[in-house]
Amino acid sequence: MPRFDTLHPAWMVWEVPAPAPGGVVLEQSQELNKFLTDIERRAFRMAQVALKDPDDAMDVVQDAMLKLARNYAGKPSEQWRPLFYRILENGIRDLQRRRTVRKKFMVWLPGAKEDPENEAQDPIDNVADGSPDAPELMMQQQAMQKLEGSLRALPARQREAFMLRNFEGLDVAETAVAMGCSEGSVKTHYSRAVHSLRDQLGEAW
Amino acid sequence: MKNGPQNDDMSSFEHRSQMLFRESVDGLDYTIRSRLTEVRHTALEAAAQSSRRPWLLRMALWTPAAGVAAAALLGVALWFAGPSGRLSGNHAATADAQTNLEDLDMVASSDPASGDAIEMLQDDLDFYDFADKASNSGPAA
Repeated sequence: MPRFDTLHPAWMVWEVPAPAPGGVVLEQSQELNKFLTDIERRAFRMAQVALKDPDDAMDVVQDAMLKLARNYAGKPSEQWRPLFYRILENGIRDLQRRRTVRKKFMVWLPGAKEDPENEAQDPIDNVADGSPDAPELMMQQQAMQKLEGSLRALPARQREAFMLRNFEGLDVAETAVAMGCSEGSVKTHYSRAVHSLRDQLGEAW
Repeated sequence: MKNGPQNDDMSSFEHRSQMLFRESVDGLDYTIRSRLTEVRHTALEAAAQSSRRPWLLRMALWTPAAGVAAAALLGVALWFAGPSGRLSGNHAATADAQTNLEDLDMVASSDPASGDAIEMLQDDLDFYDFADKASNSGPAA
């Protein structure tokens, strides 16, 4: 069941800049809608790659959208993308930390369930449909699954740099804003991520 | 999506991973897409609300501060316009000093036009002496 009940503390409202006149608000809302429409699927997939669980990914994306809309809608629209991804990556990191803590507690509980992250996938999900491109599609899906697995094995900063640069197409400066680090660090993390992924996936991939 | 690593600089590995990611984004099922749409509408609604709400909330925040400021202003006004006079402390002190000087000047003055001040004071003492005796002698029969 998806969780859409995430509430945000009231203090966040204080960060909102002074409201613009009605026409400007409408224009801004349309622009924000366009931006979120453009970004939402990629953001969801990136969160899913990092977290694996689709519900968690949806929660993190929802959180990021709400925070951006509440706190940064008044900022120039060209700043939205790095800001959005900064919020998203922070959300992903927070959730991963919570998972780690939960896992530590679960170890002490008798009969505790395995973490859903490690549960086996439903084999029906991987059954190809009857379309003519099915074998190719299946190969692509398998390749993507391998890539996702390798990305999850990377250190968080390298994974972030790779996804923001390669998947989302942010430039170095935008990635630096999104990751909250210097441009030099972005280049280093990205380069290391590419090398690690190549080594892990091999030439055949 | 246009600013990432330049196509010429990208290796075949990077091209392939980017292509696979985009395919996976395009392949998202209807349920996920509709949930994302729902989430987006919630966010837009929140943005619209927060663009209206802060004025009210700010008013609520500033009301106590404005009350304190008004009370302080009133206190200052009462302090300076209180029963001790409408003048400020410095002005009042200057005025008192000036009056005393005028009295002294009048007393010390030997200007014939203003009369002999010492003599005038002496007259006053005679009058007070008379009044004292008259009151002590009791009512006349």
